[in-house]
Amino acid sequence: MPNHLNDLRPDFTKRKISCGSIQAYRFDATLADELAARHITKREAVDLLEDMLIVREFEEMIVKLRSGAYPACAGFEYRGPTHVSIGQEACSVGACSGIAAEDYITSTHRGHGDSVAKGCVAIRQMNAAALRARVPEATGTPEEIYEAALEDHIFRTAAELFGKEDGYCKGRGGSMHIADFSVGHLGANAIVGGGVPIATGAAWACRYLRNGRVAVSFAGDGAYSNGVVLESLNWAAQHQFTNMLAKAHSYGLPMIFAIQNNHYGMTGRADNEVAGVEFLARRAAGFDDRNMHAEVVNGMDVLAVREAMQRAAALCREGRGPCLLELSTYRYYGHSLSDPRNEYRTKDEEAAWKEVDPIDHYTREIVAARALTRKGVEALVEKVQARNARAAARAAKALEPKPADVLKYLYSDLTSAVVPAEFQKVEIVREKPVITRTNGQLTYRDALKEALLEEMLRDNRVVVYGEDVAEYGGAFKVTKGLLEAFGRERVFNSPISEAAICSTAVGSAMLGLRPVIELMYMDFALMSGDAIGNQAAKWHYMSGAKAEIAMVIRASVGGGKGYGGQHSQTLESVFAHIPGLYVVYPATPRDAKGLLKTAIRDNNPILFVESQLLYMTKGEVPEDPEFTIPLGLAEVKREGKDLSFIVWGPAMQDALKAADELAKDGVEAEVVDLRSLIPLDMETVLRSVRKTGKVVVGSQCVTTGSFMGEIIANIQHDAFDALDAPIQRVGARDTIAPQSHVLESAFLPNVGDFVAAARKIL
Amino acid sequence: MSQPILMPKLGQSDEVAPIVKWRKRIGEAVNKGDILFEIETEKAVLEVESFYAGNLIKIVVPAGQAAPVNAIVAFLGKPGEKAPDVAAAPASAAATASPGVEHNSGGRHGGRPSRVENKDSALPSGGSGSVPTVAAPLAASAVPSKPGRLLISPRARALANTSCIDPSGIAGSGPDGRIVEKDVRAHLDARGYDKLRISPAAKALAAQQKVDILAVTGTGEGGRIMTEDIQRAMAERPKPLTLMRQTIARRLTQSVVTSPHFYVTVSVDMGDLLKLRQEAKTRGSDYSVTDFILEACIMTLQEVPEVNSSTDGQSVRWHASVHLGLATSRPDGLVVPVIRDAQKLTLVELHQAAKALAARARDGKLLPEEMSGSTFTVSNMGMLNVENFTAIINPGESAILAVSSTLPTPVARDGNVVVRPIMKITLASDHRLVDGAMAARFVNAIKTKLEDVSLWTRSI
Repeated sequence: MPNHLNDLRPDFTKRKISCGSIQAYRFDATLADELAARHITKREAVDLLEDMLIVREFEEMIVKLRSGAYPACAGFEYRGPTHVSIGQEACSVGACSGIAAEDYITSTHRGHGDSVAKGCVAIRQMNAAALRARVPEATGTPEEIYEAALEDHIFRTAAELFGKEDGYCKGRGGSMHIADFSVGHLGANAIVGGGVPIATGAAWACRYLRNGRVAVSFAGDGAYSNGVVLESLNWAAQHQFTNMLAKAHSYGLPMIFAIQNNHYGMTGRADNEVAGVEFLARRAAGFDDRNMHAEVVNGMDVLAVREAMQRAAALCREGRGPCLLELSTYRYYGHSLSDPRNEYRTKDEEAAWKEVDPIDHYTREIVAARALTRKGVEALVEKVQARNARAAARAAKALEPKPADVLKYLYSDLTSAVVPAEFQKVEIVREKPVITRTNGQLTYRDALKEALLEEMLRDNRVVVYGEDVAEYGGAFKVTKGLLEAFGRERVFNSPISEAAICSTAVGSAMLGLRPVIELMYMDFALMSGDAIGNQAAKWHYMSGAKAEIAMVIRASVGGGKGYGGQHSQTLESVFAHIPGLYVVYPATPRDAKGLLKTAIRDNNPILFVESQLLYMTKGEVPEDPEFTIPLGLAEVKREGKDLSFIVWGPAMQDALKAADELAKDGVEAEVVDLRSLIPLDMETVLRSVRKTGKVVVGSQCVTTGSFMGEIIANIQHDAFDALDAPIQRVGARDTIAPQSHVLESAFLPNVGDFVAAARKIL
Repeated sequence: MSQPILMPKLGQSDEVAPIVKWRKRIGEAVNKGDILFEIETEKAVLEVESFYAGNLIKIVVPAGQAAPVNAIVAFLGKPGEKAPDVAAAPASAAATASPGVEHNSGGRHGGRPSRVENKDSALPSGGSGSVPTVAAPLAASAVPSKPGRLLISPRARALANTSCIDPSGIAGSGPDGRIVEKDVRAHLDARGYDKLRISPAAKALAAQQKVDILAVTGTGEGGRIMTEDIQRAMAERPKPLTLMRQTIARRLTQSVVTSPHFYVTVSVDMGDLLKLRQEAKTRGSDYSVTDFILEACIMTLQEVPEVNSSTDGQSVRWHASVHLGLATSRPDGLVVPVIRDAQKLTLVELHQAAKALAARARDGKLLPEEMSGSTFTVSNMGMLNVENFTAIINPGESAILAVSSTLPTPVARDGNVVVRPIMKITLASDHRLVDGAMAARFVNAIKTKLEDVSLWTRSI
């Protein structure tokens, strides 16, 4: 079966395009109706109330803590954020109760409610074994163990807010980054909109894994003005997941965009000010011919939210996702407790929304439906208050993390050394690309392709996507032939959405996939600044090592080709500055293969830098599919005793030539190729420095603020007495890469610069 | 406008003072009255307060370097203000300049000097025998041999250190004449370093003590350098003079060179006075022998004002008051505290003043004004068991009285030899002001007073 070739004809027929219609507030049943219709059991109905009470009690605790008015934690000073969602409980509880325990959510900086609700709902659905696993020390009747699990959930949530080792994320995440991967909570996100593409990536992973699960992104009205959220809407709705390109697996992304529209993005008013639509649900029409099954829902009515969510989840499980639910709700407090609210809205408005308070409303329903008596409700309130107080008191007294552990959990020690059996089975849909050696040599480009091919053959969790990587084989042909080998499920073209490319990879990595994504030019990594720097880099640490973010971002450097300022940057120093990332930059075909294979098997997020200047270089590359090169191991590419070139990337090749040049004068220069900046192998560097005493550090980075300075700082710190001359630095000039060939030659370092720098200190 | 901070003028003879420590950092706010820096004078470490408020924007004279009096040492200004480009005055040269070279260019920069306060804790307490700590941080500026930092690469320095050699004499071939590794290697080769034999213990000691083993002659078998050789080299190594010793050297040399000294000695029979002192002691009045000697001097100086005078070589000046200097020894040198207007004091007051000053001198707590302006000095070695000695005149005075120990001595009395407690006193006089007859008159007047008990019975 050949690749799909488009055959698009011009069609300018006069017509009107309909955007269809979106249903709003369709739910009009009472709890009594729902009970009668057996849409809900009495127990479930009471649980909904209890969960909303738990959420509200929990957040009122935060408000009280700030004024010292929470007796259970007397004397404890809470110093984290206070983004409470009081008023929005029906959204959190209704939505979480409308999906299955094993489904996924992402949340927001105002996510206590989502986090508490997801855990409560999951615990309520757990069997005895699962409950025991959560609270192994609890004893008693099944009901008592269940109670203990609920209390433990509140305890771990509070402990996380309080920055304690017992918190869900070991105190590394806190209020705005709380996550509990064991119940499918993929993290609250302090970047507005940041969680939406992660959920989208998770939804894509659910589709790929065929696990029947859905992913829900909770995000506010503010997020729906954010670029990566709009990229996510487009991402989720791509035709290729459902049309003929999807072949046998036509399955829309099981993704539910749950907009918690509380009408204020911090203080910016979604109504009348910072948006152009009355209903954000209209966004759905812009991305999907079917409007994504969008609905506007009364977010103050827990039953309405639950019903809409159940419907959306069911559609998703049928492969008819994505869906979009706009939940209209209200935030009683300000953005945080330091926001007095009176600068941008009226007291009357607040009073009107409190009239439809989700808990008061539902309490009336539950009493009317005789699911609980008034007394029963009061008893429930007391029970919740007492349980929360016990949990909070314990959390306040819980152990602080040890200061010595400040770096713990920054990187994962895990790798995919052992591929689970279910992922070892790999289907070749058509044919593998043929990679031929000439005199045992491969180009850098083919070395990368061979690495990708071998790793995709080894592990079905390895997927490749990015701009133009499928039929076209990537702008630089590194992925050419992989689509034919593995099909569109594992190799697909992405929209030109660099932020979503990187963030969806984070989401799918959270579900255990090992995405290898391509950024056509490294310059575009700045489009994915949040995805790489705030999401990929941070989630392992912020989750207390609960999340493994095994992903590789291949980024190609265009410098040296006359492509000008936005297609020529060497930016590894920028990313080496962000803790949590690994930064790798091979300079030879052998290293390209060995390091890419290791990177794919490593569980850390890795920025894998390639250079377009190097794609055509040739060298010997082992054919052994188990050939790998450890990360963080520099290599002496040429031995010498008079001077050390400490280099990486294309500068390594320049340094080798400079060493040849110097050899004519009898100078024996050593060339040390760092190969990866993070992890950094200073041992090998220092060994060379101690031998020669004279050092030139070089790269194609713009000199000021580059990683070269870091190397130099380390050398002077650890081998000061070995230095016989000031350390020289050879980088690009401190300016923008110019298009002019003459200027670009002056801009980039060259062999002559390395020779000159060396001669200055010889 | 930035405000220059000047090196304050501290005493009669301080021309240059080293800054021991800056108490403010660049950029730090300075309030009026804040201590800006510490300086070492001849006699003490002093704290210098600021008269001005502002931010310390530039330090012209860093810690460890000296500056002449009234030279700019720093600037105060507004935060971020650029200080004028002023180089430090030639301080280290001045610190070691020969006597008589004047660096005091009084008020050249217009600003008033800053206020000075004594810093109590910087000097060791008297009699402890410890080495004065004030000299240590100043060693670099006090030793004149190295004009600047040695230009040497870390690697070359490390090689020199591990080879236990001093690289300072090696000619550098690197940029700006920097000594690089190959220069050290060439030096080692040229000096036959590989033939050098040294015991491991000796080498370890040399490395630790930074002894240049190329400069050590080995006394072991076959010229092998042994530990003793290193120890000998260490002992012989020059050490910088403390500032106090430098001052002593300068002032006393000045005195000997400019004042023609001559000496007149008399023996004083202290028998009766000692008895009187003993009687007074049993009555509870505890006078020292020194008290009587000082009082006798004070009285005699008023009788013979020529001896209480000073000269610049052109004119002579008689002093109406007696400011009596007491040469006082300290473990690290000599200071001369001054009893001002001593002629106004009763014997009791004199006793108390002398005792207090001596204690403060030993503790290093004297203020500059307590150590200057004496018109006549007494150097008493009575407690040091000496028969007789001569002293060198304190510059600016016309004479100094050296008081020796009171020793049982056979003397002729009424034609018989008897043993009496005899104390010799020797007046050293500046012959430009005092002649032999006058000196004789002066010392005999003192002798008479000390031997005439009736003179003292009234006052004690």
